[in-house]
Amino acid sequence: MRFWDLIRMSLSNLWRRKLRTFLTVLGVMIGTASIVVMVSLGLALNKSTMETMESSGGLTTIQVYENGSFVSMGSGSEEESSQETKRITEDTIKELAQIPHVTLVSPVLNVQILAKQGRYIGYLDVYGMSKEALESMDLDFAWGQIPKEGDGLSFVYGNQVMMNFYNESTGEGYWDSGVLPDVDLEKPLYYIFDQESYWASQNPVEDTGENEQQTQNVSPPKKYMLPVAGVLAGDMETYTEQSYGVYCDVETLLPQLKRVFKNKAIPGQPVTKSGKPYKEIYYNQAYVRIDDMDYAEEIQNEIKNLGYTPNWNAEWVKSQQKQYQSIQLVLGGIGAVSLFVAAIGIANTMMMSIYERTKEIGILKVLGCSLSNIRTMFLAEASAIGLIGGIVGLMLSFGISWALNNFGAALGGAITGMTEAQISYIPFWLAGLALAFAVLVGMIAGFFPALRAMRLSPLAAIRNE
Amino acid sequence: METKRTPIISVKNLYKIYRVGETQVRALNGVDLNIYPGEFCAIVGTSGSGKSTLLNMLAGLEKPTKGEVAIGRCHLEKMNENQLVRFRREAVGFIFQAFNLIPSMNALENVALPLSFRGVPKKIRLKRAAGLLKTVGLAEHMFHKPSQMSGGQQQRVGVARALVVDPTIIFADEPTGNLDSATSAEVMELMQRVVREQKKTMVMVTHDNHLAGFADRIFHIIDGKIVKIEEKVKEGEKER
Repeated sequence: MRFWDLIRMSLSNLWRRKLRTFLTVLGVMIGTASIVVMVSLGLALNKSTMETMESSGGLTTIQVYENGSFVSMGSGSEEESSQETKRITEDTIKELAQIPHVTLVSPVLNVQILAKQGRYIGYLDVYGMSKEALESMDLDFAWGQIPKEGDGLSFVYGNQVMMNFYNESTGEGYWDSGVLPDVDLEKPLYYIFDQESYWASQNPVEDTGENEQQTQNVSPPKKYMLPVAGVLAGDMETYTEQSYGVYCDVETLLPQLKRVFKNKAIPGQPVTKSGKPYKEIYYNQAYVRIDDMDYAEEIQNEIKNLGYTPNWNAEWVKSQQKQYQSIQLVLGGIGAVSLFVAAIGIANTMMMSIYERTKEIGILKVLGCSLSNIRTMFLAEASAIGLIGGIVGLMLSFGISWALNNFGAALGGAITGMTEAQISYIPFWLAGLALAFAVLVGMIAGFFPALRAMRLSPLAAIRNE
Repeated sequence: METKRTPIISVKNLYKIYRVGETQVRALNGVDLNIYPGEFCAIVGTSGSGKSTLLNMLAGLEKPTKGEVAIGRCHLEKMNENQLVRFRREAVGFIFQAFNLIPSMNALENVALPLSFRGVPKKIRLKRAAGLLKTVGLAEHMFHKPSQMSGGQQQRVGVARALVVDPTIIFADEPTGNLDSATSAEVMELMQRVVREQKKTMVMVTHDNHLAGFADRIFHIIDGKIVKIEEKVKEGEKER
């Protein structure tokens, strides 16, 4: 029998028993929708965590600090007892790059710089990194781009840096007035690297008394006019890991710093006991990028063995994911119960229809319809119920999901405090899987009825009632 | 003359024994018969004589307990169910007492149905079905559902359905059992005409001696045994 003839026959049989088909489809629809919606709740939870994670540092980046910078914070005596702290130098960078699955290592030099434009002044938290690292961060620019080679020192502003500026004379900033300072980043700003002497030169009168002699001698430090290479996308509300930072190429930052602080120590750099700077530059941290988060643990151990402190933001993501997986399983299981009930419904409907059509099946057999065709016909009927129920159920799920996200969000936000979070998320694979599952359930439910139909005796047709 | 022709149906020593509780019922008790191509045979007997059982066995709907049923060179008793279905699909047309049309299909679709089991494309099978409906005189009723037709008309559709597959043998199980005598005669004449025109072999089961009179040869069966074979060939030739 031709395939389409088979399908047409199955569908016309379903159509003949509209009400019963409808009721059975209803069961499958509810079953599918409950599974999809339930799982979508779990997925949305997972997704929002991942997104939070993503915005507060990638899953494939590890920060490396020098030993003790975290552990012994505020307990300096312990630090001394351990062996000499290994600082992060050029050699460290090379060392880290040797670890397998590490794709990129960049030094991170963190300095505070004052920036000035007009009446406004702001502290910038500047991170000098290698160009490759800046590129690898996939920064999303509102305008501009990563500083190009040969441009000299220029900065990339995070989208929330503006909040750090304040009016120098009134001292009022964004946090006080709620109004963004009128700083035009497209015009150059003045940068002051030597904050200490800047403040000293600004307030000579206040410091009277014993310090008088010192302050009077301080001349204001040199200001440098430098361009802005770009500003990251996002408004004051969108927080990412980079939104408060200012980024630049460490290759251009270092020479600038060395020029400014000729013989003095660059702020933030360790000094010898006599107050002199070391010859080498010590970085604040190393930025390590790995190719797969599955190796994160291994790599962290390696870094520890080298004598540094790794920090992987995504550490808790894994435990979180495991937790969500079990939540998803429970939710999906609840949904699966109703689909199971629907499967019983399909089996019941098919059995009933076989009892009713015993004679008809017999006629088909006498007329020469092959056994496998009869089986296929009934399987097709059952899976059509599954398919239709699945499709309608999916549509229902998308509807429920939409309603949850639009109307339930306010409610959910009030409870969880997360306003932007999605409550329900139906990815493409879930929709496809649910549909396939619905059809499969239909087929399994229809399997035994179909076998039964196949085995019915053709004599039933000739027997006269 | 008979010895020269090879029978299309040849039954040898056929037994069918049902077990009802402790007792055995011999529905067929050693039947031998030969039917030749182009013959219109009738199997006549009272109810319970085993005539329907015999027909079922000839059509491969029931397995014999013992004995041989050969259609051409195929031995039905050795076939499995799949092979039997194929045999019916390829070689057999069937006319039922209760018409047994599919109620959800119109006359045309009902006639075309057996062709769909052979995988004949829709266009071709509908065309063929329409041709046969004309032959049985139902050109105007092609798109009627069985419920919109009289018993006689339904049975004509049944005849057309049996013919559509161009079978070598047509089995008819009390084809006029549900019809009044006038329509019965009409249907019988139709069947007779068709068999003669298209040179089909027809085996009909009936309890009615009068209807059996339309056949060329009549097998009388009592208690699972053929007791008498009536030849009507000469008579028919005389009539012509």
